[in-house]
Amino acid sequence: MSAITLAAWRLERRREQRPGARFVGLAVALAGALILCSLLFVAAGASPLHAFSALLKGSFGSLRATGETLVKATPLIFTGLAACVAFRARIWNIGAEGQVFAGAMCAFWIQHNLAGFPAAVQLPVIVIASIVGGALYAGIAAVLKTRFSVDEVISTVMLNYIIVYVLSLLLLNGPWSEAGGFFEQTARIDKSAWLPVLLSGTRLHAGFLLALAAAVLVQILLSRTPLGYEIKAAGSNLRALEVQGTNVRRVILVVLLVSGALAGLAGITEVYGVHHRLKAGAIMGYGYTGIIVAILGQLHPAGIVVAAILFGALVNGGTLMQIETGVPSALIYAIEAILLLFFLGGWSACNFRLRRVRHA
Amino acid sequence: MLDQLLQASILASIAAATIRIATPLLLAAIGELVAERSGVYNMGVEGMMLMGAFIGYLAAYESGSLWFGVFAAALTGGLMALVFAIMTITLKVEQIVTGLALNLLGAGLSNYWLRAAFAGEGKTPVIPHFSDVPIPGLSELPLVGPILFDQRVLTYLAFLLVPVVWFFLFRTRYGLIVRCAGENPKALDVKGVGVAPVQYAAVIFGGIMAGIGGAFLSVGSAARFVPDMTNGRGWLVIIIVIAGLWRPWPVLVATLAFSLLDALQLQIQGIGLDVPYQLLLMMPYVVAIVALAIRPSRGGAPATLGVPYLRE
Repeated sequence: MSAITLAAWRLERRREQRPGARFVGLAVALAGALILCSLLFVAAGASPLHAFSALLKGSFGSLRATGETLVKATPLIFTGLAACVAFRARIWNIGAEGQVFAGAMCAFWIQHNLAGFPAAVQLPVIVIASIVGGALYAGIAAVLKTRFSVDEVISTVMLNYIIVYVLSLLLLNGPWSEAGGFFEQTARIDKSAWLPVLLSGTRLHAGFLLALAAAVLVQILLSRTPLGYEIKAAGSNLRALEVQGTNVRRVILVVLLVSGALAGLAGITEVYGVHHRLKAGAIMGYGYTGIIVAILGQLHPAGIVVAAILFGALVNGGTLMQIETGVPSALIYAIEAILLLFFLGGWSACNFRLRRVRHA
Repeated sequence: MLDQLLQASILASIAAATIRIATPLLLAAIGELVAERSGVYNMGVEGMMLMGAFIGYLAAYESGSLWFGVFAAALTGGLMALVFAIMTITLKVEQIVTGLALNLLGAGLSNYWLRAAFAGEGKTPVIPHFSDVPIPGLSELPLVGPILFDQRVLTYLAFLLVPVVWFFLFRTRYGLIVRCAGENPKALDVKGVGVAPVQYAAVIFGGIMAGIGGAFLSVGSAARFVPDMTNGRGWLVIIIVIAGLWRPWPVLVATLAFSLLDALQLQIQGIGLDVPYQLLLMMPYVVAIVALAIRPSRGGAPATLGVPYLRE
């Protein structure tokens, strides 16, 4: 029953979770993360209060800032949902990073041959192409797992590294490079293919609504469909699902395709909604951050939307924080990982209790 | 005649480069091997190597001592492994997720700290790096001398570790206990040996080795730190342990195979052959996937690898 024994105290697993324990765990985790972050601010020579207030001002201080926070949250909602669908089935798709690239590349590949078509044609095409691109790239990992029993963690991580070089090959003196351009990027995409802006005065684009719709769809998928049942069943006991007669290979394949499709959509929100050209810097990092978002959101679509907005706020506010306090905004990525570690530890710790051992 | 000489010298330089490139991979792989043998799947190697590379560089820069850098890197790797152990062994958090969290922490923290420590300086300062230490006598041997016996101290150490860890795991009582923790932890428990302390020790050893491996990249050869300089090596290490069937000697072979690939790639870039460099750089990752897909044997994994031990 116990894990470790400390003198007369014993750390043991609770038989069932006490109501409220999870909440206490959360609060302690949040407090711990805040204290550690404050120490990092102090180490960088800034007052934590000043830094946190700059973060808040930079992320929600004005309409423009709020819009920008939601813009930054949009790809994270998609990659968070991608991780959610896979992790619920205990399929460890770490490849959202590469699938974002695949989605963006597939969309650009088809769309840049459609110059001159009206937006009503181009926009649906890029959405579908990004879904297909992301799904196909995840499909490689699915086939490797089901046919060649290659662990998906390893294959998806390798695929993440590979596709960065593929994009670079296409962009650096390649078929997609900007004519006469010096940087590794495509030419500016024609306005007819931009995702429309929702709120004037901000950069908030239609991709945000798409992301919210995806969250609703994933929630329905998980709670109302046979596939959702299979996903949850695979997550709790794969053997039982197999014994019951379900084709587990099919479940693995479908889960990875859906997960990859969701990640692929994050590629176009950045390329067609924000940067308006394809370059590695526009789409990098969202896959990995999405995993943190999914876990902080407790693998629930609604929680993921909230966590994505929180992280969007951190990244967005980080810029003002750097300007006002001189703390490098790169700290934000360390803070994200610290939050994840504290929350994981905090949640898990509420499954335990300290009990005094009575000696006979 | 001259042509032949050139050929031989190119081969020798590829071989020497292979040994050098193998060093960080081998250090970390031997550590990961021991951790996995105890039943813990440490997926945080990448982050531990990266932080080791950074802290090693920073400590060497501040202190002026390369060996202090290596020591600090070992400490850093060990500390991160301690966090990993507390999370996964004591609190039973998912090992994959914890490993990822540490990777992200390593990437974020090293990147931030680098900017904070060298703010205003365009480039991170270059420090001296370890130089080759020829072994008297042996390094004079024709052909193999300069390849095998004119390397850095950490390289000798890495290769020496292979027989040492083999002996430890398969010929000592403690090695048996480590392997038992990964194969049948319950048996260990019944015998009155705590599973958790064994796994803690194995994981922390793995972290220390990953930290030193990372330090070899910065203070051992590059003489500076570049953000994300491990560039997937931590993941290659995990693949090397799988391809090496969780045994020290095959792990050495797998390490050398990946290193040879990298050395060849550098050589091809060096002669300026007309191959896009991106194709060369993606080779190890493609080969890793193919190697795992076509590997003839699926065996070798510890029976309870990745499964937290719960006493009922």
